[in-house]
Amino acid sequence: MIRVIIGEGSCGIAAGAAKVHEAIVAAMGQSEPFALGSTGCIGMCFLEPIVDVYEDKTLLRRLVRVSPADAEAIVDAARTGDMSKVDSITISDDDAEFLSKQTRIALRHCGLIDPTSLEDYRANDGYEGLAKVLSTMTPEQVIEEIKVSGLAGRGGAGFPTWFKWNAARQSTGEPKYLICNADEGDPGAFMDRAVIESDPHNLIEGMLIGAYAIGASEMIVYVRAEYPLAIVNLTRAIEQARAANLLGENILGSGFSCDMRIKAGAGAFVCGEETALIESLEGKRGMPRLKPPFPAQKGYMDAPSNINNVETFANVGWIMNNGGAAFSAMGTETSKGTKVFALTGKICKGGLVEIPMGKTLRDVIFGIGGGVRDGKSFKAVQMGGPSGGCIPESLLDTIIDYKALGATGAIMGSGGMVVMDETTCMVGMAKFFLDFTAQESCGKCVHCRIGTKRLQEILTRIVNGEGKEGDVELLEELCVGIKDGALCGLGQTAPNPVLTTIRYFRDEYDAHIRNKKCPAGECVALRTYSIDPDKCKGCTVCAKKCPANAITGEKKQPHQINADLCIRCDQCRKNCKFDAITVE
Amino acid sequence: MHSENSGPRSDFSLLKETLDTYAKVPGSLITILQKAQDIYGYLPKDVMYHIAEAVGTTPAEVMGVATFYAQFRLTPIGKYLVMSCQGTACHVNASERVSAAITAYLGIANGETTEDGLFTLEHVACLGCCSLAPVIMINGEAYGNLTPDSAIAILKDIRKKEGVEV
Amino acid sequence: MEQIKLTINGREVTGNKGQSILEIAIANGISIPNLCYNKNLKVYGACGLCVVEVEKVPKLLRACATVATDGMVVTTNTPRVMQARKIALELLMSDHEGDCKGPCHLNCPARTDIQGYVKQIALGNDTEAVKIIKDKISLPASIGRVCPHPCEEECRRQFVEQPLSIAYLKAFAADNDMASADPFKPVVAAANGKKVGIVGGGPAGLNAAYQLAVKGYAVTVMDMMPEMGGMLRYGIPEYRLPKAVLAAEIKQIEALGVTMCNNVKVGKDVTLEALRESYDAVLVAVGAWKSTGVGCEGDKLDGVLGGIDVLREVNLGARPNLGKNVAVVGGGNVAMDACRTAVRLGAENVYVIYRRTRAEAPAEDLEIEEAIEEGVDFKWLTNPAEIIGENGKVTKVKLQVMELGEPDASGRRSPVPVEGKFEILDVDTVISAIGQRCALEGFEALELTKKGTIVADEAVCTTNLPGVFAAGDATNRGPSIAVRAIGEANDAAAAIDAYLSGKALIKVEPYYSKRNKDDIDFSAYEKKARAEMSCKDPAYRKGNFDAVINGFTEEQARQEAARCLECGCHDYEECRLIDFANNQPINPSRLDGGKHSCFKEQKLVTIERDQGKCILCNMCVRTCREEAQKGILGLVHRGFQTVIKPEFMDPATIADCVNCHKCADVCPTGALKILK
Repeated sequence: MIRVIIGEGSCGIAAGAAKVHEAIVAAMGQSEPFALGSTGCIGMCFLEPIVDVYEDKTLLRRLVRVSPADAEAIVDAARTGDMSKVDSITISDDDAEFLSKQTRIALRHCGLIDPTSLEDYRANDGYEGLAKVLSTMTPEQVIEEIKVSGLAGRGGAGFPTWFKWNAARQSTGEPKYLICNADEGDPGAFMDRAVIESDPHNLIEGMLIGAYAIGASEMIVYVRAEYPLAIVNLTRAIEQARAANLLGENILGSGFSCDMRIKAGAGAFVCGEETALIESLEGKRGMPRLKPPFPAQKGYMDAPSNINNVETFANVGWIMNNGGAAFSAMGTETSKGTKVFALTGKICKGGLVEIPMGKTLRDVIFGIGGGVRDGKSFKAVQMGGPSGGCIPESLLDTIIDYKALGATGAIMGSGGMVVMDETTCMVGMAKFFLDFTAQESCGKCVHCRIGTKRLQEILTRIVNGEGKEGDVELLEELCVGIKDGALCGLGQTAPNPVLTTIRYFRDEYDAHIRNKKCPAGECVALRTYSIDPDKCKGCTVCAKKCPANAITGEKKQPHQINADLCIRCDQCRKNCKFDAITVE
Repeated sequence: MHSENSGPRSDFSLLKETLDTYAKVPGSLITILQKAQDIYGYLPKDVMYHIAEAVGTTPAEVMGVATFYAQFRLTPIGKYLVMSCQGTACHVNASERVSAAITAYLGIANGETTEDGLFTLEHVACLGCCSLAPVIMINGEAYGNLTPDSAIAILKDIRKKEGVEV
Repeated sequence: MEQIKLTINGREVTGNKGQSILEIAIANGISIPNLCYNKNLKVYGACGLCVVEVEKVPKLLRACATVATDGMVVTTNTPRVMQARKIALELLMSDHEGDCKGPCHLNCPARTDIQGYVKQIALGNDTEAVKIIKDKISLPASIGRVCPHPCEEECRRQFVEQPLSIAYLKAFAADNDMASADPFKPVVAAANGKKVGIVGGGPAGLNAAYQLAVKGYAVTVMDMMPEMGGMLRYGIPEYRLPKAVLAAEIKQIEALGVTMCNNVKVGKDVTLEALRESYDAVLVAVGAWKSTGVGCEGDKLDGVLGGIDVLREVNLGARPNLGKNVAVVGGGNVAMDACRTAVRLGAENVYVIYRRTRAEAPAEDLEIEEAIEEGVDFKWLTNPAEIIGENGKVTKVKLQVMELGEPDASGRRSPVPVEGKFEILDVDTVISAIGQRCALEGFEALELTKKGTIVADEAVCTTNLPGVFAAGDATNRGPSIAVRAIGEANDAAAAIDAYLSGKALIKVEPYYSKRNKDDIDFSAYEKKARAEMSCKDPAYRKGNFDAVINGFTEEQARQEAARCLECGCHDYEECRLIDFANNQPINPSRLDGGKHSCFKEQKLVTIERDQGKCILCNMCVRTCREEAQKGILGLVHRGFQTVIKPEFMDPATIADCVNCHKCADVCPTGALKILK
């Protein structure tokens, strides 16, 4: 039986998958010999919308960048089984390597199974790990297996998962809570969204194993409100699991009882910090608590609680199924297993990439991502979002490992990898992140509340051409003070984007401050527009488009730009048919 | 400003079911506020007072929570909520130009609503569609790979649909 | 309770198990700065000042939140800790919209607590006001009459309508106190057996004498003139400062046990060396008593006099005949005193020759105004080119007409001669009032500046001779206004006290939080005109040396004092923030940026909240919730925008506030003010 499966994760939909779906339905007759279905996100975002054609379990064709106009051909191909009809939209061998070069564990089902179907999940080894755990393992054995696997928290800090589980297990007090941090706030990372949308049962299974290990009777998933589809899919999955006795009382007859609920976040990055998340779960302002006491002792509702992020849990079912040793066989001495990265920015092939630890950044960015797009040259990759840093070209052979990445000043983080090319201003990048952290600071501690604001102000000054000699040193001093004095992870890491850009791109700072120039040409306030008199034909288009009346000239004579009036809106350059506008 | 002065009293009966379910469940304030916002479109002051009373907390606490989270709005929003993603990938892909174009076209800045009540513009943290950057989301539907022109075209379509001259 | 032992700053201390590092430090008298800790409230950990280093812990820890363990080694003042603390304080101060002290105070050379005494005057407590004033200025009735009041220049009330009449208020309070049955007498410390000799009985010498006498020193003031008072006595004319007022104030100082010796001149009657031997410390405050010559041809002619010489002669009781036509050269206050004295001595035509315009004249504008009222003819933009005489006696003065040229480096437009343009005046006397110099015969052992003044440390008034201090017009920059000499005398007295108590001589200018006037909305204040001082009629004034001003009426003074905007912080003395900010050098201005808008609101029964001074320690919120059990206050917004507000800014809130003041009591800054 032929099945036509449309990738309808959030990005697929954003790329037009829903319209493709509609068009295919419209093109279909009353009864067709094939089935139409949908799946989540396979992580090849650069090829969306994606339609897969299967014969039973075999993938016949992966169709990419599908438009509604292709619907007829797809239906025809599925109907007749003649796949040559969709040759033109079939994925190239080169693009197919994006996936074949990966090793997928956390994302193993994403884009392959129907996220709305429990059966589909179960047909793909789903809940087998849980069944094994509940029927054959003690909680201590589960924790031991996780210890063997070397699994570490994928949310950013990389803390050993077994250690947290063990602490929560050892902690006295009832009830205990297992909490999933799905407040994926790092702008530039979206693997958690992909997992919840595309493989919600995988999260439920991983959490159930964790809950069993620590002795929790309730599980809470704290999901960002910005992820509506994830909430819908997870809600459905929870209902399915409950109906199948995978949640609730006496799960699978094991005597273990545990239920699960979703709590939607309300928009605060700081709630990714675990104590702030707990405050938020309790319905309060998401302001971090002091540690100790740690959540394992006194967490949600003052009860012992354990918090892991989505990707961490997404590995657990697989580990139980395949053994911790199989997981730890991958990776490096200090970092085991695989890690998912969200590869975005100025990259040829953007999407989700899961690879074993120990590969190099170059492997990911160039080997899988195909390097920088539009023929531009690579400048840096930003890792770890607002808490991370920018890694320059010279360090591209750094291996993916918590320690090695930490040594660069960046962090593994949750796996955001934003690639930047020569046109990205690194000072602007630092400012972008400080805009973000200043806005997301909870306001509790002085160092973060005022410190991030001051960093942002100084950076703004620099990109506006008002930087002063000594600003870089001031930034550095402030950064160190903030790292030392801030209360929680947000503040303690907020200076990282500034420190790493200063460390690797000091010359860009100096160019802004001393020469009032942005080498990347990105800082609008530092651009100067002029007209090349040899190229200008005097067509007057630029003068007409200029909203500031800064361009003058006789018809058919070269025009001039009055720099004092120019507001650098770029209209002239965009509208010039003769490429006569130069920007410095 | 007192609730008495802030226009007509909100219809609390709409919130009854929510309060019956959650008011006595500890830690449900955010959930209740989210549901209230779904019902009223924003969080009217008298509703927040009402919630404080029902939950048994102080109005200061409710106000504190309502102003902490980006999602909550204390003023009514337009029929279409345009969320403009400010994520890293969007930034690197020149989302500023898209935001600026939307602001110029609708004549509203971040957090404002058009006079005809059709659009509210909100700059939001990453929408998680980074590979399609720059992205906007309108009433829950994401639009990716935008240029200033394509973003305006989307808004124009909505205006047309709503019978507004463009 | 189980005891634990730990080391803090190398000292072994004990505490109870479960206590935080901060609690144990406090119990053992070790101070760790903190702004959000209160023993009655749950630990909050926001301010970050209490960070400490703990051995083997890579991160800095908050002492308030870290439970101490046995054997812990804590250091509270490592360079890293101090740096994190410095950043915290700089950040806090960079977002602090408040004036620790009013700008009047900061611009007063004597650093008088102006806001404090003006408040007392408004409340009708003149003696209390004088007590505050005399802490810095021991001659308030005199200084209040003659001071050019730099305080009023900075008074913020001028941006509402006009500055407060601070100087006259001072004179008013001092006059009232003096006339009262029980004038203010300072508490004099028990005699400490140390002797201080002061050379010069002018404002500097007298004020130093007062300050040192109060501290228990045996003070002797020596002066070459027959009476004490210096330039106040011999330089300022009677009509501005009645000598009876000055004498009464000097008498009050003498009553503290100060020995006053007149007609004693160093170098003639006694040597500096002998004084150094007789006294434990010597203060040289001899002033600048030599007039500077006009410096043009003819300035040695008969009839060319020095301004202060004329004033001294008149103050000694003489009534010299200056002739019918008198020209006074200069645009400062001495020139005004001289020309107005000339009027009173019967001159018919009195000219003031000044090379710039009225706008540039250093004299107080009121003085110029009063001189004009008395008929003085101001020759602005002229300069004496030559004094012409017959038979060695002045008959004419030739004036070069000037114009203002380009502004110089200081921004002042300097006068340049208009080529060939002259004017000639018939004069009988030319009085030079363009400056004074020191006459330092007898002080040869002291190091002098190029200007011929004594080199004295700007902060602690030390000279090149150990135990010899110097202050006032005789030092450094030379002649200035009396209140500056008084300010220097305060510094000198403090330095002498430190020197004789074996303490280090340091004067550190405290760090103050200051507001920018442009950030203040003055339109919110109701306009109330400045009290006008009633003066005697110009026609009457011309014929005698009677006091020109009549003084404020009681009603005027109280109302005038009530105009004070009270810019300085009510909580300055108690403020923990400024205390810590002065613990270590900080430079918040480098972090200048956006600030919380400084608005005041009264939303609780009797408490005014100033958001500009709030440091978001959340202490009031926590106290209201945890201690008062009310929960009226709460945090609103997040990040830098966070503010503390009573619920929804609602009138009902006021009803619910039980006015317990607990929030204001715990506030570590001046953000909450209890209104009486």
